[in-house]
Amino acid sequence: MTKEEFIAELAEEMEIETTVTAETNFQELDEWDSMGMMVLIGFVSEKFEVSLNAEDIAKLTTFESLIDKIGVDKFS
Amino acid sequence: MAMKKNDLKGKNILVTGATSGIGKGICIALLSQGARVIGIGRDESKVSDLSFEDNKFLFLPYDLNNIDGIEGLFQNNSVAQEKLDGLVLCAGKEETVPLSLYKGDKIKSLFNLNLFSGIELLRIFSKKKFSKDNSSVVFFSSVMGELGQPGKVGYCATKSAVLGVVNSASLELAKRKIRVNAVSPGVVATPMTKKLFSQLSDENVKQIEEMHPLGIGQIEDVVPTVLFLLSDDSKWITGQNIKIDGGYSIQ
Repeated sequence: MTKEEFIAELAEEMEIETTVTAETNFQELDEWDSMGMMVLIGFVSEKFEVSLNAEDIAKLTTFESLIDKIGVDKFS
Repeated sequence: MAMKKNDLKGKNILVTGATSGIGKGICIALLSQGARVIGIGRDESKVSDLSFEDNKFLFLPYDLNNIDGIEGLFQNNSVAQEKLDGLVLCAGKEETVPLSLYKGDKIKSLFNLNLFSGIELLRIFSKKKFSKDNSSVVFFSSVMGELGQPGKVGYCATKSAVLGVVNSASLELAKRKIRVNAVSPGVVATPMTKKLFSQLSDENVKQIEEMHPLGIGQIEDVVPTVLFLLSDDSKWITGQNIKIDGGYSIQ
């Protein structure tokens, strides 16, 4: 999965209606709430077997920072 | 009336989920009362600290996700040696998955462990060659068996289904005076809960704590009710769901 595919699929799962890029701060999106966080944790766990917790996510801002947290080497 | 409270000495009890949390707490309590315990769990090293008299504790390392192999465990000579007086089904998994990501395989896997393994164990236990008349079965449901929370479709469904099993099996096994009951804990401080809390924000954790009027439970808050249900003191109680939740479900 490329970074672009990851961001597009995650945005789809989170039902984000605006256009997002790697630089978008997901915490500032209208759609970001506790369910959104649950979807993000579940999606990342399913695709990468990486378990993020609420503390990890609180430190993240942009999709790029999320990708860094997951590990850039896991993307093609 | 002569009272001999919760006498479990010499009883032969099988406990699943024996390596951690409430299951392990039950094993320790049973052993301290002189019961013989057969524990099932995945990781034997987690019970190496249990102290007991010789031959009182038998550990069978087994992954209950593998339903088809469960009957084979009962053929094990040391299990079949003496009929069981009790079965405690503690093994279970908690997971938070939003509905939009809950595909068939994922939810089936949760049902496998939380429900189907218990039904299979009960099926085998219910045969005369493995259990005594007047024996007792304790299933673990949860307050989530009757209530809900976002992200818990799977967990709530499995725990709710457990209550259905208890209702039906208690009637089916009444002929042999075998009792089948459920206990439904609220949030108890165990390794499973620790994992759950690590995925939540501090604010969410605080909310969960505040939902329990008597605070979060401890393992020793749950164990005595299970011992009671296993003992002959509860011989007229069957098909019940006993909530042990610090008042969580009354609100």
